[in-house]
Amino acid sequence: MSTHLPVVIVGAGHAGVQAAASLRRRGWDAGIVLLDAQPGLPYERPPLSKELLKGESAERVPLRKPAFFESNDIDLRTDVTVTGIDPAALRVHLGDGTAIEASAIVLATGAKPRPFTVPGADLPGVLQLRTHDDLLALRARIRPGVRLAIIGAGYIGMEVASSARALGAEVQVLEFMDRVMSRVTSPVVSAAMTELHEQAGVRFAFGVAASEITQTASGALTILAADGRSFEADLVLAGVGILPNDDLAVAAGLEVRDGILVDERGQTSAPGVYAIGDVAQWPTGVEGQTRRLECIANATGQADIAAAAIVAHELPELEVPWFWTVQHGVRLQTAGLWHPEDERVLRGDPATGSYSIAYLRDGVLAAIDTVNALGDFTHGKRLIQTRTSVDVQVLTDVTKKLSEAARDASVPVH
Amino acid sequence: MKVAVTDRDGAGHELEWDAADTLMETLRDQGMPILASCGGQRSCATCHVYVDEATFAKVGEAEGEERELLEETEHFRPEASRLSCQLNCSDELEGIQVTIAPEDF
Repeated sequence: MSTHLPVVIVGAGHAGVQAAASLRRRGWDAGIVLLDAQPGLPYERPPLSKELLKGESAERVPLRKPAFFESNDIDLRTDVTVTGIDPAALRVHLGDGTAIEASAIVLATGAKPRPFTVPGADLPGVLQLRTHDDLLALRARIRPGVRLAIIGAGYIGMEVASSARALGAEVQVLEFMDRVMSRVTSPVVSAAMTELHEQAGVRFAFGVAASEITQTASGALTILAADGRSFEADLVLAGVGILPNDDLAVAAGLEVRDGILVDERGQTSAPGVYAIGDVAQWPTGVEGQTRRLECIANATGQADIAAAAIVAHELPELEVPWFWTVQHGVRLQTAGLWHPEDERVLRGDPATGSYSIAYLRDGVLAAIDTVNALGDFTHGKRLIQTRTSVDVQVLTDVTKKLSEAARDASVPVH
Repeated sequence: MKVAVTDRDGAGHELEWDAADTLMETLRDQGMPILASCGGQRSCATCHVYVDEATFAKVGEAEGEERELLEETEHFRPEASRLSCQLNCSDELEGIQVTIAPEDF
């Protein structure tokens, strides 16, 4: 064992756990302290709005088994509050008044649901979903016939709509924009997913800006919209996005702008302090641009980069960001990040239930949405990673594989 | 149970496969360089392995979504490819040898 001080990782979500794993795999031989505010084993979040909501078991799916932390000598401390970090001294202060001296600090504090602040949002039947406890609270209230209003048609709202419908709830989705999942996909996919939900009995109202929630003596809730519409419900789930948990970084004086600003190694404005995952503003590769991405590939990829930086290894390349969601048994998988200005090319027929939308930027595949088309996902992700120019004629020909649409490689994409 | 693993550099490892774990968990948690970025949800193909011939005859070919993901990967080998997240430990797999497939890009 080396005489180095430990690396202290704050937050044991996907990013923090991967950072610990990567440090060990890369040969870090001093201590690793992994801290989390939540009790119990660190767990997978994607199933919370899917299998664990509608399935028989609501048991958390551990990110790693207990034996992993033991055999890798990772000092996992859960139910622990971090009250502050001192970047100059590389010291982490805990809620019990003690402090840990570190050789590096990794902030993997993730994100929290964007506060839902309309009057009445604090009523007992108004919930949000981020943690396993949140899931248990939601699950306990969803029963056949319960009227569930979901505010926000993003991934969380749409997955909960699907799961709650499967449990027999009456589901009404209220969305501020004019279509579902507008932030993450294009209108063609939004329309198809909306139709899928409607066939399953989910109702939608668009252009709804919830302005107040009131409760009658019997417990029923009324959601009032800014334009005068109103919606009755027994239960409300607000899925209105997330905000980075960057309070520790702000208090420590690190550079923060909608997340903690880092360099290409994941290092913050303070030497020896890193930030990874949902909380980090990472350079995009284009001078002066950063972005904060909410996905697992991003969390684990950045964790491995920070680990490599700490042990002075060559930095690995980030995986193409990708996302998946399952709604009413239909699997939507997206690779890359689309821009509204991208050229959109439909591959396959949405009526068949299996199709993809390719997003081209300067003739190069920049992103792809695949609906029940995992083959296109695998090929598409590779074409995006290799920055490959594609032939649209071949791309739209479903008798050919997507990979056959490749023309040449290595045209830079921005 | 033991599983013999050949990594991408050709080095051999003998790992303990706990009965409660999938093969992916065994590889990932013991430091093998697989991304397993979906955590075992059958959504990516980053835990792709080649299974030795005798064991492959027992576990069978990939089907459904697993098959769809695998057969589009660059290094798919119909007679050996499986996603390790879909392989559960069982006594009949005694003697299993796997090789971690090359990364896809």
